[in-house]
Amino acid sequence: MAPTIITKTEKLVGQRIRRKEDPRLITGTATYVDDIQMQGMHHACIVRSPYAAAKIAGIDTKAASALPGVVAVFTGADTKDVGPVPCGASLPGLRVPYHHILAVDRTYFAGHPVAVVVATDRYIARDGAELVEVDYDPLPAVADPEKALEAGAPAVHPEWADNIAFNFHQEGGDTAKAFAEAEVVVKQRITSQRLIPTAMETRGVVADYNTGDEALTVYSSTQIPHLLRTLLAQMLGLPEHHLRVVAPEVGGGFGSKLNVYAEEALMGFVAMRIGKPVKWIESRRENYLCTIHGRGHVDYYEMAARKDGTILGLRLKLIQDLGAYHQLLTPAIPTLSVLMMPGLYRFKNIQADIVGVFTNCVPTDAYRGAGRPEATHGIERMVDILAAELKMDPVEIRMKNFIQPEEFPFATATGLIYDSGNYDAPLKKALELADYPGLRRRQAEARKQGKLMGVGVSTYGEICAFGPSPATPAGGWECATVKIDPSGKVTVGTGASPHGQGEETTFAQIAADELGVGMDDVVVVHGDTAVVPYGIGTFGSRGTAVGGPALYYALQKLKEKIKKFGAMLLESEDVTFVEGRCVCNRSGKSVSLAEVAGASYRAMKLPPGEDPGMQATYFWEPPNFTFPFGAHIVVTEVDADTGKIAVSRYIAVDDCGKIINPLLVDGQVHGGVAQGLGQALFEQAVYDENGQLLTGELMDYAIPKATMMPWVESHHTETPSPVNPLGVKGVGEAGTIGCTPAVVNSVVDALSVLGVRHIDMPMTPEKIWTLLQGGQA
Amino acid sequence: MKIGGVYQLPVARDRAYSMLQDPAILARCIPGCGGLNRTAGNEYNMQMKLALASISGLFEGKVRITEQNPPESFRLAVEGKGKIGFMKGDGLLRLVDKDGGTEVSYVGDVQVGGTIAAVGQRLLDTTAKMMIKRFFDQLAECAGQ
Amino acid sequence: MIAQNFEYSSPASLEEALQMMAGGDAKILAGGMSLIPLMKLRLATPGHLVDLSRVPALDGVTEEKGNIRVGAMTTHFQVESSALLRARCPLLAAAASHIGDMQVRNMGTIGGSLAHADPAADYPAALFALEARVRLLRVGSDRTIALSDFLVDTFTTVAEAGEMIREVIVPVEEAGTGVSYQKLVQPASGFAIVGIAARIRKSGGKISMARVGVTGLGPMPYRAVGVEKMLEGTAGTADDIRKAASVVADGVDANTDIHASAAYRARMAAVYAGRAIQAAVSRAA
Ligand SMILES: Cc1cc2nc3c(=O)[nH]c(=O)nc-3n(C[C@H](O)[C@H](O)[C@H](O)COP(=O)(O)OP(=O)(O)OC[C@H]3O[C@@H](n4cnc5c(N)ncnc54)[C@H](O)[C@@H]3O)c2cc1C
Repeated sequence: MAPTIITKTEKLVGQRIRRKEDPRLITGTATYVDDIQMQGMHHACIVRSPYAAAKIAGIDTKAASALPGVVAVFTGADTKDVGPVPCGASLPGLRVPYHHILAVDRTYFAGHPVAVVVATDRYIARDGAELVEVDYDPLPAVADPEKALEAGAPAVHPEWADNIAFNFHQEGGDTAKAFAEAEVVVKQRITSQRLIPTAMETRGVVADYNTGDEALTVYSSTQIPHLLRTLLAQMLGLPEHHLRVVAPEVGGGFGSKLNVYAEEALMGFVAMRIGKPVKWIESRRENYLCTIHGRGHVDYYEMAARKDGTILGLRLKLIQDLGAYHQLLTPAIPTLSVLMMPGLYRFKNIQADIVGVFTNCVPTDAYRGAGRPEATHGIERMVDILAAELKMDPVEIRMKNFIQPEEFPFATATGLIYDSGNYDAPLKKALELADYPGLRRRQAEARKQGKLMGVGVSTYGEICAFGPSPATPAGGWECATVKIDPSGKVTVGTGASPHGQGEETTFAQIAADELGVGMDDVVVVHGDTAVVPYGIGTFGSRGTAVGGPALYYALQKLKEKIKKFGAMLLESEDVTFVEGRCVCNRSGKSVSLAEVAGASYRAMKLPPGEDPGMQATYFWEPPNFTFPFGAHIVVTEVDADTGKIAVSRYIAVDDCGKIINPLLVDGQVHGGVAQGLGQALFEQAVYDENGQLLTGELMDYAIPKATMMPWVESHHTETPSPVNPLGVKGVGEAGTIGCTPAVVNSVVDALSVLGVRHIDMPMTPEKIWTLLQGGQA
Repeated sequence: MKIGGVYQLPVARDRAYSMLQDPAILARCIPGCGGLNRTAGNEYNMQMKLALASISGLFEGKVRITEQNPPESFRLAVEGKGKIGFMKGDGLLRLVDKDGGTEVSYVGDVQVGGTIAAVGQRLLDTTAKMMIKRFFDQLAECAGQ
Repeated sequence: MIAQNFEYSSPASLEEALQMMAGGDAKILAGGMSLIPLMKLRLATPGHLVDLSRVPALDGVTEEKGNIRVGAMTTHFQVESSALLRARCPLLAAAASHIGDMQVRNMGTIGGSLAHADPAADYPAALFALEARVRLLRVGSDRTIALSDFLVDTFTTVAEAGEMIREVIVPVEEAGTGVSYQKLVQPASGFAIVGIAARIRKSGGKISMARVGVTGLGPMPYRAVGVEKMLEGTAGTADDIRKAASVVADGVDANTDIHASAAYRARMAAVYAGRAIQAAVSRAA
């Protein structure tokens, strides 16, 4: 052992490093659910109701069963003992309809699963599905949440006379006083339309039952393999340790795969019944009909203020379109909106009333931002409406009401403690990047020429890192394991189940820095309940913000062990672990990580009180949420003849705490902004009055394509979070949250010369054109 | 989806009215209809073949005539169910004397569900109008015979 | 794709293809951009597909005696990028460049587009303005008819069972003709909410010829003869153009769907007609 000179290499955290996962994704060598092939695998096709509401008078499966190649047909009568599709959220007085995995005697939304045909190949399964004769008696349906609240509306669930699933009231401060003292009150109805998450990969399940072991393995395109395992075991009546869930490569989720779906249990049921592996791959049409939608708000806002622009209080009546059932978190999503109602502002008087409404539509649930985009859209629109009313600049009114850096930690009227913030910083940076005064001058000139140009400013705050366990239905911690092989190679296991966010890269950066090894020495594994002890999953911008600290602490634990083995090998009490080597501070002698690891497994000798092996696991419970923030500025031009909107500049300054990899953070912002622009300009799930989904395919549901995107100028400020040792906050949803109000504020600003105060999304050309004609959009 | 329109038939109102109640004539005029079988007074079953561009589908359908007020008005309900979805149309037809013939106007509602509803969005309105136009064109032809 | 069972043939010659079609039950597969999505949803369930991709010489653009022949299997991208069309019939190339997205343009064909007769397809607007003709083949029959006779209704053409589009024939554009295609895009599919093609010739400071084709507005694409008449003989001032464009939707029962109401479509037809004509006038020498 020669004396070692350690040269400090540059840290990987903070660098723009390309993603480790990209080569396999780009070259088509990744394994998604549909890539799984098994000996004897069968295929399932699901028969779905074309009616939004109907009684099932009878189902005739004879012809389907007789088709050569069909091995089984199951209906609701066969599966009715499988546990209900679970709802993890609870609210006082919540009505929870029993959610069978296959409809039993009635269907509740168009696309409701009614039967499943299992066959030796996909084509036969599909042929068989067409032969299942279902005798439906159509019933009146209701698709619009406000109509569903009217007296005499068809009851979505006949066991209850009305369609109200819950009423929820939350209040902080003294709103009545705030409104009594107000010098100005502005009111607006603001909607956040139903959106279809449209992950690139639709859902899919392969279930494989081993009769000998009585063990079921379910491969599912999910964001939450461990929670799915716990809940599926309950649904199927299977001991949890006989069930393994694998989330292979998952092609996007955006919250739509943060769920437990009927089909996941159904495939488990089928595999156990036929004793053969079975695969179901969702078609895009099924994905649109049967995978959760997002948003679906009709909000009535009232804001009280003083004439100088000081906001005093906010009232909200929130109508949440729940759809026909509660999926995993359905009723909880609007409560997140309420939590975030104060935005970045200091006022402390808030009152919110949510009414959750059943409709004959597919359930809504978490979609990128999950409740926070709706809230941010509302508050940021209201601040602009107030500014317009008071003839104040939208920047000035915001800065006047911001919580100031010295006020953190800041307790909000909704019961949150904002961790840290410097809200002026991203706004000032965005204003500078945009040359705000210059933009306003250009706008004045454009107006002189009769052109419609708008400048939209929006700031936002979000609540991330879900979250302290008491605030979540199933635990809010995360788990990490770090294992060093005898050769010194490192495997990180994370319970966060990344599916596109890039933690295989960022977690490798963290581990490589802590252990002093290279990126290639670290592999990050996830998404398999047999490989990772437990985990909560990736959603709510928690992957890095909760999974990252769990990893950090697991690494610290392991480093202690490394040092002990190093000390033993170096026969010294005074040892430092640095740059991948244990160094004796007296002799300067050192041993490498591989030598230490090797010694720990051979275990010829053990440090006092230590076990053999080199592995550490850590379950980290976050003390609080994190609260990222930012400012987006959007410049638009509106074509007065057609109502078409062109986004000519998009500036995003996001503060997500410490940045581990700027490349990935920019990617998250770009993707988020794309989805935000989708909501602001193009997307809307349209149901007709009978509950038929009219935007049932990509030919009619307009997600933004690459060519429809403006150049996103993505910049950052860094205000570390005190909540975790990495200082990270989360960025997965930021773009979606900051975007919609910035775009709408911009277009309203352009049209303000015509007296326009608010426009609901999506701002289609026809809607704008109608406003330009002096009509009501 | 609301629908409505006006057609001119080159026959007197009484004749136009009776043609519109005649199952044999309706069968010839409903696009793709393979014949009407009476199931009750003014109710018929039918098989309908839809063929439009590459789209094709078989529908088991029903036709029902109600609110008869000869020769002024009646209500016509047509519905069909098939593998690719279902459709339902319900409309009030009014007949008035005009230019030596009869003007038939209708207002109603068309409901479409299942796969056709989801993919046909862009084209549903156009297609519904075309089918109705074909119906009346054919009726005019029958009237001429 | 989980289509219903079908038989698939891939003939290697035109004769063989026509023979296969002769029974009347077979359906042609060209680019598959309209047919395959329908088959996936089982809205189309053809028993027999005849894939034309191996039949030689069905694609390509050739000039012959004042005409340009565009083979039925010529892809939208080939039309868009054809040097011959860009120089000698730029309106058709321009229309092709507006179709869908790059993937669709790489696969979809002009013959498939015409045969499908989508009321919002881009080509027909240009082809009406060009007074194009369509050549149809069947065993024992070879006929060439005007586009206006070929398209008869929404998704409906006069092509008979077993009949195949062989090619589309457009005139070589006279020097000095100004052309333009302008389209309001439906953002989900890329199809036209309205699309307007304009061709303008001038002589002695006046518009001597105007041709205007319209798609997306009504049950089928059409030539806006009323607009053309109002333009011809005028100097083509902004006012002349606006007046003429304003009648583009006259007498047309405009479509309504979730993407655009009839009133908006009709108004946009006038706006885009104005823009297309203006651009064509400014390009006409
Ligand atoms: C996402 C998307 C966006 C689109 N956007 C647009 C758009 O913006 N504008 C636009 O115009 N179109 C658009 N299209 C349609 C596209 O242009 C298709 O390519 C075209 O309509 C059909 O051509 P095809 O070669 O793909 O034909 P196919 O799909 O193969 O066939 C279509 C029909 O034509 C028949 N057929 C094909 N070739 C012949 C022939 N030679 N003779 C007789 N019959 C034949 C087939 O039997 C079939 O019935 C879009 C399509 C998609 C999928």
